[in-house]
Amino acid sequence: MKYLTVAASVIAFLLLGANAGAQPPDTAYSAAGLYNLANSYARAGKPGMAVLNYERAALLAPTDADIQANLNFVRSSLHLPLRPQGRFSRITRIASPAAVAWIGVLGILVAGASLLVGKMLPQRRAVWIVGLCLGGAGIGFTVCNAIELEPRVHEAVVIAATTPLRATPVPMGDPLQQLSEAETVTITAAHEDFALVRTASGHNGWVARADLADVVPGGSVR
Amino acid sequence: MIAVFAACVAASGSALADAPLAYQTIQPSKIVMGESAILRVTSLDSELQNVKLPEVSGLSFEVLGHTRQMEFINGTASESSSIVIRVTPQIAGIFSIPGLTPKSQPLILEVNTDRNSGNLPLTLNGTAPRPAPPPTPKTGNAAGIHFVADGSAFVQLKMPRRAVYVGESVPVDIEVGVRPGVVTALNGLPTIKGGDFTLNNLSRQPERQEQVLDGKPFLTMTWHSVLAAVKPGDFSLTVDTPLTVKISSRPSEDEAFANILGGPFLQNFYSNIVPKEMTVTSQPSELHVLALPTNGRPADFSGAVGAFKISSDVSAVQMTAGDPVTLRMHVSGAGNFDRVDSPMFDRIDHWKTYPPKSSFSSTDPIGYKGEKTFEQPLIAAQTGEQTIPGLSFSYFDPETRRYERAQTEPIKVTIEASRADGSLKAPSEATDPDSRLASRTREGLRPDHASTPSYATLMPLYLQPRFLALPATLALLFAGGLLGLQRVPSRVASRATERALAHLGAVARSGDSSAFLVEARQLLLRNLSQRWRLPPEQITAAELNARLGSDAEDIGRLFALADEEKYSGGGADGTDFSQWLQIVSRQLTQGASA
Repeated sequence: MKYLTVAASVIAFLLLGANAGAQPPDTAYSAAGLYNLANSYARAGKPGMAVLNYERAALLAPTDADIQANLNFVRSSLHLPLRPQGRFSRITRIASPAAVAWIGVLGILVAGASLLVGKMLPQRRAVWIVGLCLGGAGIGFTVCNAIELEPRVHEAVVIAATTPLRATPVPMGDPLQQLSEAETVTITAAHEDFALVRTASGHNGWVARADLADVVPGGSVR
Repeated sequence: MIAVFAACVAASGSALADAPLAYQTIQPSKIVMGESAILRVTSLDSELQNVKLPEVSGLSFEVLGHTRQMEFINGTASESSSIVIRVTPQIAGIFSIPGLTPKSQPLILEVNTDRNSGNLPLTLNGTAPRPAPPPTPKTGNAAGIHFVADGSAFVQLKMPRRAVYVGESVPVDIEVGVRPGVVTALNGLPTIKGGDFTLNNLSRQPERQEQVLDGKPFLTMTWHSVLAAVKPGDFSLTVDTPLTVKISSRPSEDEAFANILGGPFLQNFYSNIVPKEMTVTSQPSELHVLALPTNGRPADFSGAVGAFKISSDVSAVQMTAGDPVTLRMHVSGAGNFDRVDSPMFDRIDHWKTYPPKSSFSSTDPIGYKGEKTFEQPLIAAQTGEQTIPGLSFSYFDPETRRYERAQTEPIKVTIEASRADGSLKAPSEATDPDSRLASRTREGLRPDHASTPSYATLMPLYLQPRFLALPATLALLFAGGLLGLQRVPSRVASRATERALAHLGAVARSGDSSAFLVEARQLLLRNLSQRWRLPPEQITAAELNARLGSDAEDIGRLFALADEEKYSGGGADGTDFSQWLQIVSRQLTQGASA
């Protein structure tokens, strides 16, 4: 019994510590605040900043229909392609990433406890099998959500009106093509003040970091 | 090699008995745009009067003159007359030129846009001729020209007569004059003789000019180039040019006899003319080369010698922090631009500098005059009004004979705050309120949301290392718990032993020696059977002695007492329970720990 007490205390301590440590106040955002900010930028005729903040808001509140509608509206206005959302994406993003993370932790707890119960009380087979399945489902859901969201962590939005995609990471590098403002690109590498990006159409090239803004601040560089 | 496509009308047979014998040739039959071919119409038995020039679309015809000469055909001497016509194409293609006399056959002239499809006389391997209007022969002064190859060619090196400096680019002209028909091919570009000079940037195509020197037609080709000396001293320069020349192999006696008889006659009678490859050399030209002075040589002198001017500019004077700006330095003038170099800026305060790159734009074919531009990207590290310092460039001026230093003015630029810095600040007002997006979005956007106190990080929790410590620790805890449970069988065995000993103790305390011995025997047998993985019936006295050593005697006695108690009864009076309990306990404890 005393072991269970110690284990519960450790888990409670970890939960509290993880919750507090994962949310430094200066990097916490509100989905509603980002959405309203994006609306302001859109009304001010700054599509790059508008799309950036819509993307960030959508990251926090993936099921918010208003965010998705305004994001699509701005993209359509600029004749930019809309991001297709498949079934996998819809299923895995029915909750915010924060909630999904806690679901994963809960899944580990339930699955672990079920395994212990199964060892200690093998005669209660149904109980621990059901617990194991529930816990596994929670863990699997979190993993799927992570698979879906991980690429978006490395995305950035073009915030300058004319942004050349260059062949080399120097300001005088040969321009391959021009990127549109508000276009979303994936950053695959960085070199000094330049980022190697892959566009939605599959082209690769270097872009000045000053012309890009990370959807997840600090998350673009792999 | 001269290719001749001729359509000859042979004077044979009765059909031609009453018609004048005539034929026409065209030389060469394959030319490129910008060149001309010579159409010669020859009559063998009558003097040719003017002929009517044909009309061929894409070709122009011009009569150059009439000639008369003696011809020997099939051993019969006859006088012939010719009309020489220049044919100049306006377009490329294959043309059929109709016969100009009643008996002459049509001729084919092939005109190409480049040299790739033919091997023509006076061609330079791998180079295309410069399109030019048909040359007009003009009379030149042959004084000072040193003819070679029996007077059929000459080579001249024209250069300034002043002293030059080491590394200085000196523009020179190389003239090669050849007699068409006698010199049949140029076998290479002119080369300068001697290793102390470099001949750079030989113009790709020579300037061609037809002129008459000493009464003989010459085709003069002039190459413009730049000469540079690699060390000081006095030098004598010559230029070699490989040619193929048709020369006569007649003995001198025949030559003298030919002079008596006259040219046209001997030309046919002693027609032993053979082509010969030879290299013709120009008259030596003297050049005095001075070393660059060491006094007053600037530290940043890169070897540029000439007359230069510099200027600078930037790609934008107003920009956003983080945006690159290009600083350009233009060095223009005349001189050795290959030595014009500048590191630009290694470092400027409040700016991030990148290595420069340069490009040269020549205003002449030899790269002697032009402009070299250095471009260096800079990125401002600080907002506000910034000053880019002036640039400087050092060179040696051969006219003033001293080192010069050119300087540009500083450039002021204004750096605004980066757009990315304000990504989380709401725009105060529309920068372009009338923009299409702004006007459309006013109607198309869904309304703002009420602010909520819910905050979260944009980086998902499960991708944050600090948060990942939680599930990792949980997993470790559960794994540890499972591992702990894996050790339960021994613990259970230990507890079973304790329970058995407790029961045995209770029996002992009851004083029932028979029950005690039987219980103790069974307990030990079960324990030893598990430890030795043997059936209880196979545990004999010999097995006990072999495995237990000193304890075997006690255990054997206990088994004997138990058997005696079991089969005879009352054999265990006065049993020392505590002693037997100790023995049994020791054995069972050993078994549990094992």
